[in-house]
Amino acid sequence: MLELKNLKLSYGTSQILNGVNFSVKRGDVVSIIGPSGTGKTTLLKCINYLVKPTSGTIDFDQIRMDYARPDKATIQAIRLRTAMVFQQFNVFKNMTVLQNVMDPLVVVQRKSQDEAREIALMELDRVGLSAKKDQYPAQLSGGQLQRTGIARALAVRPDVMLFDEPTSSLDPELVGEVLKVIKDVTSSGITSILVTHEMQFAKNISNRIVFMDAGVVAAEGSPSEMFDAPANPRLAQFLSTELETQ
Amino acid sequence: MNVSTMIPELLEALPLTLAIMFVALAAGFCLALLTTTFRVRRVLLISTLADLYVSYARSVPVVLQLFIAFYGLPVLVGAFGIEDFLSANLAAMVGLSLYHGGYLSEVMRPAYLAVDRGQHDAADSLGYTFQQKIARVVGPQAVHIALPGYGNSIIYLIHNVALIMYIGAADVMATAHLIMARDFNQYQFETYLLLAVFYSLLCLIAWMIIRFFENRASIYTLSNKPAKFSLTASV
Repeated sequence: MLELKNLKLSYGTSQILNGVNFSVKRGDVVSIIGPSGTGKTTLLKCINYLVKPTSGTIDFDQIRMDYARPDKATIQAIRLRTAMVFQQFNVFKNMTVLQNVMDPLVVVQRKSQDEAREIALMELDRVGLSAKKDQYPAQLSGGQLQRTGIARALAVRPDVMLFDEPTSSLDPELVGEVLKVIKDVTSSGITSILVTHEMQFAKNISNRIVFMDAGVVAAEGSPSEMFDAPANPRLAQFLSTELETQ
Repeated sequence: MNVSTMIPELLEALPLTLAIMFVALAAGFCLALLTTTFRVRRVLLISTLADLYVSYARSVPVVLQLFIAFYGLPVLVGAFGIEDFLSANLAAMVGLSLYHGGYLSEVMRPAYLAVDRGQHDAADSLGYTFQQKIARVVGPQAVHIALPGYGNSIIYLIHNVALIMYIGAADVMATAHLIMARDFNQYQFETYLLLAVFYSLLCLIAWMIIRFFENRASIYTLSNKPAKFSLTASV
């Protein structure tokens, strides 16, 4: 359903993405792993055009775009069918938890207040935040903020969920509550792409693992192929250092 | 003639002084909004002109800006065929609006830039248009950041209203000078003291209004309790 071809991106002289090919089938849960600074997050943000690749193409069901010739309407069409969960949560600071989840439904999807509230309350219940619905972000913990972010993303009913290191800026004791919610989301059948450093978690929830190194996809396969018998030497080395620290 | 009969005379000049101030406040705000928009979203040529305008408003002394407005305005309307146009009050409004707008733009622009990049990303990723993003997410947060600076620029504007007597506008300062000249320069100290009280009161009211909005917006920053209220702080 989603295919990126020959994606290239550079900031100044440093090349971040070096011709990435990446595809996702409907219902897939794909985890992108790899050392820091290899362009995992950048790749994810290329999908909804939060960063601007210099070249490459995207095919998203019937939507097609050449990144060399970006077009506003196509970008918007892609954004309306995806939703992103951010490393820094990026919950709207001027709105309560409930308003955060409702606002995109009212403003972007033009739903009525009542309908938006109903959907929002349902999603907040799903992430276990019903009791916090009238609090402002400044009053919440990192885990609660991230669950708000997940509820906001789920409420727009996206075709693809994009998780950008959703637990990387959480205190260790808060990681569990967020992973539990993500697991619940991915097991509900929604197509998901997850950038993560939680190796064990990626292995448990994904049906495909993509290993990125130096701006390209260096290896991909099923979790058992990738984790139990890594054929790529860079992957093997990466996994041994990662698992050592976890 | 004594101080108590002088007060009503001074107060007669108050409506005009306030009118000039409020026009400058309102027009300056609109100008600042427009200028900031073009300085944040770069548009060829227009943005450069906006930059030039802001540096004029911020670097030329206000008295000089008032003279330029006073003598520049007739030249400008003369180009449209209107001769012998000279109005101190209008020039004061135009001059102060231009000054306030440019100054305020340099409060608004940093406030806009201070809103976390992630807030933009989240709104963009959800399909908000630029206008929706500004109206719903970035704008309200920028307003909160800008409030203290806005309060300052209002206070500077109030102070600078006292300068319009140099181009001959009949504000409270000019009126005070007329009264003193007529009354053989008696009660000079009392008159100036009265003016000081008058300007202090204006600033205090402005500060209280800004403080009210600051407290209202403080719900979504870290402090849950509003700042303590006092009559003397910051003015």
